[in-house]
Amino acid sequence: MKVNEIKGLNLPNKKDEEFLKINLDALFSYDFKDVQTYEFDIMGLKTVDDEKSYESVLFDITRSIDNKQKVITINKNIAEPIFLIHKIKEDETFFTNSLKIEVAKDIKAQVVEVFVSSSKNSAYSVNRTFELDENSSLEYVKVQDFDVSNSFIFNSYVEQQESSTLDFTNFEYGNGFILNNFINNINKENITYNLNGLVKLKDDTNCSNLIKTVHNAKSSLSNIDYKHSLKDNSKAIFKAKSIVNETALFTKAFQNTNTILLSDDATIFAQPHLEIYIDELEASHGATTGSLNKEQLLYLESRGIHKELAYEILLKAFEEKIAHNIKDEIIKDFIETYERSKYV
Amino acid sequence: MKNTVLKIEDLEVSINENKILKGLNLEIKEGEVHALMGTNGAGKSTLVKTLSAHYDCVVTNGVITYKKKNLLDLDVSQRANEGIFMSFQSPIEVPGVNNSYFLKTAMNEKRKYAGLEEIDAMEFLKHVKEETAKFNIDRKLLQRDLNDGFSGGEKKRNELIQLLMLQPDLILLDEIDSGLDVDAIKTVANVINSMLDGKRSILMITHYDRLLELIKPDFVHILNDGKIVKTGDYSLALELDEKGYEAIGIKDESK
Repeated sequence: MKVNEIKGLNLPNKKDEEFLKINLDALFSYDFKDVQTYEFDIMGLKTVDDEKSYESVLFDITRSIDNKQKVITINKNIAEPIFLIHKIKEDETFFTNSLKIEVAKDIKAQVVEVFVSSSKNSAYSVNRTFELDENSSLEYVKVQDFDVSNSFIFNSYVEQQESSTLDFTNFEYGNGFILNNFINNINKENITYNLNGLVKLKDDTNCSNLIKTVHNAKSSLSNIDYKHSLKDNSKAIFKAKSIVNETALFTKAFQNTNTILLSDDATIFAQPHLEIYIDELEASHGATTGSLNKEQLLYLESRGIHKELAYEILLKAFEEKIAHNIKDEIIKDFIETYERSKYV
Repeated sequence: MKNTVLKIEDLEVSINENKILKGLNLEIKEGEVHALMGTNGAGKSTLVKTLSAHYDCVVTNGVITYKKKNLLDLDVSQRANEGIFMSFQSPIEVPGVNNSYFLKTAMNEKRKYAGLEEIDAMEFLKHVKEETAKFNIDRKLLQRDLNDGFSGGEKKRNELIQLLMLQPDLILLDEIDSGLDVDAIKTVANVINSMLDGKRSILMITHYDRLLELIKPDFVHILNDGKIVKTGDYSLALELDEKGYEAIGIKDESK
């Protein structure tokens, strides 16, 4: 099966502005031996047809292979987070998975998903829809740890009702070819949308994050914050577009990305982009790129900490900023003690 | 006879290709307290930065011998582990690195260097508690990130905690008294004086006679245009304080 031979699927073209710098050809023209829907090992989940029309064609890859969507409805407060662990082990296989997470009115929920692969030449295309009812809150944390030669496409579509909060944190650890795509159309008031990510890459890894946030309603907040720590020959793309329309008075829209390049060959392409049609708002965007602070390194070394360890300590401090933002203590512990070896 | 700890011969140092030290000689023996005075731009900070291998300083000539080793062969952390401690004029803020973790790591690095076993968190806390209690230093600083958001005084107190815990052999104090009130200066002096055991040596830069009153130096050196131009005892500091640099024949290059 080749993705570019699926009938009726209009794949993104690398000439499209959005996909500049992302080379999807190798993935889309690869001949996978098998196609499978990745099934959750949870009994009794509701299944629906995903009939929504998405503004990004990337959602259509999963849907054109299997448009069934599982649904998790959270309608009571739960003490512990829900953990969903995805392990891709079969070689040469294209997997799909689609899930809707619904959080009912006034409910607080926490969900963690871990995506790990130990296969060869496989791909995983995942669609997520988040529906947050009024005054609900969801803390969602995603860990991606895909092995080299594997590809991962993750699409997130968010629908938030009034006064709801989504705290969305991503940890990109793997060695594969990764594309994340986040869409949130903010159509209700007093919404909070925090999207954070740590992109920690090495070797020849390639990880792209495409983020689109549209503010249509008043008094909502979107805050996008990504840290990149890039080694060896790795390459990261960060494209965040936040649009604040005329109807979205008193919006707060923030975008920030910081990158530490740890080798001469590591590359970041960072493009924070704000499109604003009103005056009454708070907005900022920024991107920094550099190496570790040499004054800080010197200070640690001057107290006897050898250079390599000082380097490690400072890098960890930079990377941990994202984990520190996690509100749920169980999830925070989980991230702090996460090891790939536990899952492969 | 006392052993020589540090011997600097004909030292020339440049920063950004500007020659700052122009043939400096200095010898410090065990247990001695040396004060370094001089007008702004004379090269005082450059000297202590050079001794701790700061990346700004390029040594273009001269020899520095520390405990019979060629100091210039040692990198920043090796010098620290050999017992050189430079107290920074403005200690660097390191957000995200817990102060207590940092200090324990530094202590264990030094212990490893000396072939000793590492200490665990319990021992570390006990030790910190004892040392800080002696001088009434607030231990809460240790729970915070390293110098992050510390006031000027807190930063200096944090340097003192490090001094007490790392127990160096040669202490370089670059204006540790700057920005401190009288009580804080007393704390600095108490800590330093308590560490003077006849073996440990100090090289301190100060503009402030109050600190010299509290930590009486054995030698006072006046640095001008990259060289030590006058050496005396404590009375030289008093004379300087009374008459100023020009009266003792030193032109202030910064004026």
